Amino acid sequence: MGLFSRTLTLPETLAATSLTLTEPPLPRRVILPLTQGIGEPARVCVAVGEAVKVGQLIGAADTEGALPLHATISGKVVAISEQLHYTGAKLPALIIEGDGADSRAESQGEQGEGEVLSADEMVARIRGAGLILKGLHPLPLAAELSALDEPTTHLALTGRRVVHRIDTLLIAALDPEPSLGVNRYLAGIHSEDLARGIAALKAITGAQETVFVVDRAQPPSPLIAEMLRADEQEATRVVSVHGRRFPVGLPIPLIKAALGREVPLPFGRPRDVGVALYDMETAVSVGRCVRSTIPPVATLITVGGGALSQGGIVSVRIGVEIGALIASLGGFAQSPAKVILGGPMTGVAQYDLTVPITKEITGLFALRADEAGRTTGYRQCINCGLCVKVCPVNLVPGVLSLYCARDRFALAERQGLLSCIECGCCDYVCPSRRPMVHFFRHAKHELLEAG
Amino acid sequence: MELTVSMSPHIRGKNTIEAMMLTFIVGLAPTCLAGIYLFGMRALVIIALSVATAVGVESAIEWIANHRLTYRDLHATLTGLLVALILPPTVPWWIPVTGAGVAIILGKMVFGGLGTYPFNPPLVAWVVLKLSWAERMSLFFAPHTTTPVLTPLMAVKEDPALFYSYDLLPLLLGDQAGPIGGVCGLAVVIGGIFVLYRALIRWHIPVSFFAGVALFSLVLRSVNPDLYPPVSFQLISGGVLLGAFFLAPEPVTSPVTPKGMLLFGFLAGTLTMIIRMWGADPDGTFHAILIMNAATPLFNYLKPRAYGRSGHA
Repeated sequence: MGLFSRTLTLPETLAATSLTLTEPPLPRRVILPLTQGIGEPARVCVAVGEAVKVGQLIGAADTEGALPLHATISGKVVAISEQLHYTGAKLPALIIEGDGADSRAESQGEQGEGEVLSADEMVARIRGAGLILKGLHPLPLAAELSALDEPTTHLALTGRRVVHRIDTLLIAALDPEPSLGVNRYLAGIHSEDLARGIAALKAITGAQETVFVVDRAQPPSPLIAEMLRADEQEATRVVSVHGRRFPVGLPIPLIKAALGREVPLPFGRPRDVGVALYDMETAVSVGRCVRSTIPPVATLITVGGGALSQGGIVSVRIGVEIGALIASLGGFAQSPAKVILGGPMTGVAQYDLTVPITKEITGLFALRADEAGRTTGYRQCINCGLCVKVCPVNLVPGVLSLYCARDRFALAERQGLLSCIECGCCDYVCPSRRPMVHFFRHAKHELLEAG
Repeated sequence: MELTVSMSPHIRGKNTIEAMMLTFIVGLAPTCLAGIYLFGMRALVIIALSVATAVGVESAIEWIANHRLTYRDLHATLTGLLVALILPPTVPWWIPVTGAGVAIILGKMVFGGLGTYPFNPPLVAWVVLKLSWAERMSLFFAPHTTTPVLTPLMAVKEDPALFYSYDLLPLLLGDQAGPIGGVCGLAVVIGGIFVLYRALIRWHIPVSFFAGVALFSLVLRSVNPDLYPPVSFQLISGGVLLGAFFLAPEPVTSPVTPKGMLLFGFLAGTLTMIIRMWGADPDGTFHAILIMNAATPLFNYLKPRAYGRSGHA
């Protein structure tokens, strides 16, 4: 952080620099919670003891808010029981013991040449494949896409002009946090599915223009350059931002940095300013499920942190327990102080390594004691104003934290608490080590409880 | 394996209260050295007594109250240092001791310690000393001597035309009477720029403070250039430099919002000039900052622009 800069440069040691793909061996067992993301649970459609194959539907989505669930290894369903989830809740989950054969379910295949899907058919494919929108509120992608023309809570409440039309498809070729690297990895490799996915997203959202947001420090991606050349209507352009700075990669700051548009807060969504924001990973997944009806059984995550012996981009089967995953990557090099699912700035700390990787997970980090921030012994706010300087949504976090610490939640709400995007920048810079995000989440929870 | 669970973020910056206070102390080092060079051992003794008293009194109170000792955060050291730097070099040993004690007890600890007090503690001490021992607090030496002389501001207050007798460079280099830390402007500026660069915040307050002083004196000069000293004289005489760089931007007692800081600094600078022109105190800087401290909660209402109001671009 410089004299005038309002963004953070995070420690180099945690920056995702090694963008090589690792495919660990098949897990022996997977745990598949029926709820993926923050949606509704799927309905179990297999019985305990039944043999399943890779890609077989095991949880059906009966509602818009649910995601269908597919077996990610072949083997036998051994239990349907409550299992610890990364959020700390215990959720009903299917447990599959693998047979090591990795045999695929039949009756699934590639889309025939020349078959053209309508937007609705594409959304149906996305729904069937069970794609999720990763992020702070991981929702089923199909639900998100089909609700694009509904007014959001924010606009319904304030009665402001509702923007129905999406004019810009924003594709993030950078990651929410500098420590994560999946999107930068995907920007650097060749994938036919990307062009297909972007065409599909454009058709579904109705956007006229496609804007790639790339990291200024990243060498220009040949893939994106090719797409620029291929676009004869010149409706594609590239915007470069300081992607290695935080919180530039988070959705709301990213839309501001790339397009200069401010999503209305609180409760606003990108679509309120005419933007559909998806990352490279989503675009590639959409491209794949437009091409083929084989449901994805693996997800890409970034693995890192000084306590692990190996890091990088890892393709993992959904449902693998984090302990087993770490063991298959060579185990811990040093004793970890914190194990995090997600990135170090916004992820969720874990205490039990039997927690499975779910669809919305972006990263797995194991931090040494010297890398993890101190969490105890915070002191009084000294009013230094650093948090005001770094807050991407123009709040006064220090004052809010004082209100929250004294249970003055309504007062905090009037001062804009609900606009907080929980990026953690104020927490990061605070010289008194105040757990700001902790205060804010607690206050938001209390406000929610009170209605 | 023992795993810690807490809310995000899971990594934190290196910034600490200790580091911030140390930055301020290092920033004041040139001023201290200049004061000791100009006023000799006398200044060193005043600084040492003041710092020792501040740290001692704070620790004693915390020990009696059965609180955690906080001398390690260096705030008491900084407070003691600032108390000494705003004292005249002529004072007897018990003035810095009383001053540092008052700053810590009345200025800081009665409110609950660091982060809670409404007024700048060294300035609280300064006002108490000024009210209690007005004559001792108005007695100044010329540098390198023990001859009592008037400070430039006192002299100008008596005879406005006298400002012609002061040259810019000697004033900046410390050839004037004044408080220990208020005579060598160059040292204060060097330290101040260091603090601005390292503390990464609050350029707003010094800049707008200087703007307030400069603008007001420009207006006065345009009325009658013979009666009112030039801008440069106002900026480098008395406590303006020390006040703008080290007293007004004191974190706890100044606003946090950019707009609030700008207005705070500007009004403090303006008030300094008003007191200089029409008040009883020839300097006015310290009074002005203390008065503006009282209004800090109001300045904090000048919040940054609410996000997301510009809507669809």
